[in-house]
Amino acid sequence: MGLGDYPADYNPSVHGPYDPARYYGKPDTPLSQVKLSELGSWLARRNKSPQAVAGAFSRAFWRWQHKYVLPKRSGIAPFLQLVFGSMGVFYVLNYGRISSHRNYKYH
Amino acid sequence: MLSRAAILSGQNSRALVAFARATATSPANNAAESTSSSSLPRPVRQEAGRVRYGFIPEEWFEAFYKKTGVTGPYAFAFTFSTYLVSKEIYVLEHEYYSGLSLLIMWTYGIKALGPKVAAYLDKEVDDYEKGWNQERVDEKANLEDQIKNEEKLQWSIEGQNLLIQAKRENVALQLEADYRARLLSAYQAVKSRLDYQLEKTNAERRIAQKNLVEYVIAKVKASITADQEKQNIDRCIADLALLAKA
Repeated sequence: MGLGDYPADYNPSVHGPYDPARYYGKPDTPLSQVKLSELGSWLARRNKSPQAVAGAFSRAFWRWQHKYVLPKRSGIAPFLQLVFGSMGVFYVLNYGRISSHRNYKYH
Repeated sequence: MLSRAAILSGQNSRALVAFARATATSPANNAAESTSSSSLPRPVRQEAGRVRYGFIPEEWFEAFYKKTGVTGPYAFAFTFSTYLVSKEIYVLEHEYYSGLSLLIMWTYGIKALGPKVAAYLDKEVDDYEKGWNQERVDEKANLEDQIKNEEKLQWSIEGQNLLIQAKRENVALQLEADYRARLLSAYQAVKSRLDYQLEKTNAERRIAQKNLVEYVIAKVKASITADQEKQNIDRCIADLALLAKA
């Protein structure tokens, strides 16, 4: 599976047109339904190769696109989410400099 | 004669009409419908996700409801931000205050202009979609029009059958009228010839009779002598005298 290829599990004659937000492999238990005792084995089952991680981020991005950006009557929500999301990201990136502006010595 | 006229007046046209209709209504090629790809589900465009305060997904609030009730998410947000601020994990430096003023300005701007911009953009979206759809709708209407015209034409061609039948009857009537006129003219021609012969024979007989009478009279007159004339007149006078006496 090189760059620009479809996922190995995607079969056009079974799945129909390609949906970039959909996982075509065998679905595991969703994280929200995993019990704490099974969390270790659940994490061990995850595919942690760079391709799989990139694929997961790509699917998340497309899920967000489908839900907030691409609908016919999408509002201002995706733009505000982008603004607040980047606020969070840049706060974390700049945290080393921002933390020097602390007003109190003891907490 | 009559059958040839029938051929000329369109006996064959019925077969032509049948041929034309068979080709016009033969079923279209339906191969495109039987491909397997059309039976698979196609992705459908989603409705926009519901959010609160312009950007926070509704699902995040609903995730709290089962455990905490409706105030849970607000309590969590308030306590968590209190924690972040009091521990100075989130530092209230100058950017915080500029962000606060920006937030106020943006909130006012979105509240004031949002509905108008949304209405304008919704209208644009509808116009854009309509622009793409209109061609398809027009094409469909056009094709339906053509089908209607075609059906009307077929219907009018069926009318041609009636017309041809009427014309055929008309031709038969003309032929009958012609036949009778010719019969009459033949009768009249024969009759006039016979009349002529009759007239001629009568005239000849009359003339012959007249000539014979004249000939006989002339001969009789020629045979009468002066003596006989005198005897005759004397006889006449004697007869008159006898009559007078009586």
